[in-house]
Amino acid sequence: MTETSRQPRVVIADDDADIRALVAIAVDRAGFDLVASAEDGTQAYAAILEFRPDMVVLDVSMPGMTGLEVSRLVRNDIALDDTMIVMLSAAVDEQSRDAGFEAGASHFLSKPFSPRELAIRLSDLMPAS
Amino acid sequence: MRRLWEIVMGRLSVDRPSPALKQLPTAVAFAAATITAISVPSILITSPYAVIVGSVFMTIATIVALYFTRQVTYDRWWALIVPGLSLTAIAFLRVGTGGITSLFGSLIILPMVWIATERGRRWIAVSMFGASAALMLPYVVNWRAPADASEWLRGVVGPIVYGITAAIINEMSRQSRKQYVAIRDLARQREALLDEAMAGAQALAVNEERLRAADRLTRSVLDAVTEQAVIGTDLTGLIDVWNPGASVMLGLAPDETQGKRYMFEFHLEEELEARAKELSYPPGATVLNPGFSALVESARLGRAEVRDWVYVRNDGSQLSVSVAVTPRSDEQGVTIGYIFVATDVTQALEVSRLKDEFVGLISHELRTPLSSILGYLELMRDDEESPLSTEQMQYLGVAERNAHRLLRLVGDLLFTAQVSSGRFPLDVSLVALGDVVNASVISAKPNAANAGVDLVLDGSVKSIVVRGDAVRLGQACDNLISNAIKFTPRGGTVTVSVGTNAEDAIITVRDTGMGIPASELDQLYARFFRASTATRNAVPGVGLGLTITKAIVTAHEGELDVESEEGVGTAFSLSLPLPRKVAA
Repeated sequence: MTETSRQPRVVIADDDADIRALVAIAVDRAGFDLVASAEDGTQAYAAILEFRPDMVVLDVSMPGMTGLEVSRLVRNDIALDDTMIVMLSAAVDEQSRDAGFEAGASHFLSKPFSPRELAIRLSDLMPAS
Repeated sequence: MRRLWEIVMGRLSVDRPSPALKQLPTAVAFAAATITAISVPSILITSPYAVIVGSVFMTIATIVALYFTRQVTYDRWWALIVPGLSLTAIAFLRVGTGGITSLFGSLIILPMVWIATERGRRWIAVSMFGASAALMLPYVVNWRAPADASEWLRGVVGPIVYGITAAIINEMSRQSRKQYVAIRDLARQREALLDEAMAGAQALAVNEERLRAADRLTRSVLDAVTEQAVIGTDLTGLIDVWNPGASVMLGLAPDETQGKRYMFEFHLEEELEARAKELSYPPGATVLNPGFSALVESARLGRAEVRDWVYVRNDGSQLSVSVAVTPRSDEQGVTIGYIFVATDVTQALEVSRLKDEFVGLISHELRTPLSSILGYLELMRDDEESPLSTEQMQYLGVAERNAHRLLRLVGDLLFTAQVSSGRFPLDVSLVALGDVVNASVISAKPNAANAGVDLVLDGSVKSIVVRGDAVRLGQACDNLISNAIKFTPRGGTVTVSVGTNAEDAIITVRDTGMGIPASELDQLYARFFRASTATRNAVPGVGLGLTITKAIVTAHEGELDVESEEGVGTAFSLSLPLPRKVAA
């Protein structure tokens, strides 16, 4: 129980269920604790407020609120200062990447992604203690 | 009466009088003399026969004069027979009315004048001898010599006086004829000048009509252009042409702008300032005004220019326009102003934005399912609990390869959309071109090996450095090498080399492939164009690779050249300016 509580807690959000499942697998392989899987921005923000996770993996284009809007709300909340935001987007151009960082993303990863590589990247970003 | 006198005397003097008219005074005077001699008792008729003979001569003279008058043409010399006969008639009248004492000797002067007015001095002598003969006839008829000195004087001195008179008349006549010819020449000249003036006036009228027609045509063309603003200005930018399109676009009627407003008043000040800065105008430079100079800079140098600007309407609202500026010249070719043709591109920009949005959306929507496909394929491959058979792994490889192919296509589509919308950012730094080319060659090796093509990097290239975007340049090299491999049959060779000339670094990719028909070379860089050799040989591709490569090279201020021979091979040369050229 104590060991489980040391695992980084992660909230993921993507409007595509298949991608959500794929990200969930990567999170699991990285040895993280997936606390919530949201299908839109509003659900994602609610889950973040509820679970105060260590990491959020956000899709950019989502109904309700976009990943960028969720990111801005998180960054405006002092209580969520330590939350790492990983943006996952199908857009690969410089402007989209810049927009992600401006909205407060810590990292920007593009789709399509390899679940294997995503797991490695996530664990590199936040080594499980 | 005076007019009649002028007409008769005029015709008798120089205006080619007819023989009948010339004879008229003589005939009338003769008739009057004859009637006077018959009716006045104090006048002694010494020989009625002579009077009758004289009258007959005069009648014949008059008839001959009438005859010559009726002829359209006649010999003037023969016509002199008329005054000759008249002189004879007068001579006989004198004989019949007292001979040398006759009252009617003075009649001789009338035919004598006729003869004396003829052209040439000899007629002075002829008229003098004619008059002398007429005066001497009474001596001949009476067959006696003059009795005393006074008779001699009458017979000899008289003709001398007549001769002098004839000489004066002849000279005056000659002068008159000269004047007449001069006047006639002047009249002809005047007529010619008049004709010339008339012709000139007619030509002027025709030209005027042509000008009016041209003006009408220009106006109707300008008026017909309702979707574009056509605005003309003088050299200072003062508006003098304002078509209906300009009225619609900017909300002002021609009489509100022509001669009253300046072109730069419809521009954003900051845009003009930015352009002036771009043109490196020194601060405070005023060529009339810096804003207008910035507007017409290219046109001022005689070049047409098309540039996007924002116009400010009369109500303050703004619209995006594409403006073509051309110089206006007079007939000597001197620039006297400018013509601005503006097209509202608000809608076009909106369409372009929507297109970009659409391409972005499609690209996103395609990349998301591809993420799932590739991700789950990988999970299957990595599943250690239930490993796949070799055959299944092969099938999986095919699915993965095709998914990646689809992904590249989506990437290319997105990239071409960025290029066409002008959103094509370059991350510029100093790039070791050798490393870029080397990396491309290494990554293409497996492909080349699969295709049975020998891929060779020719020579050492490490020292060449250019300014550019390493990723984009790598993409351009990848495209050229991948194309060369695709178009080269098994057993062929693809040679990649990097070199420099005085100004450029040059990457050359040469293959021994199927080549490109010469007629298709100029279409190679068009989007979705595929060479006939590619379709004929079922070479895979969609026709975006060279479009993208060309766009990358152009963005680096470089050039992409191709040489190809069907069945022999193709060589693409990618030239990039060396850093010192960029700095210049």
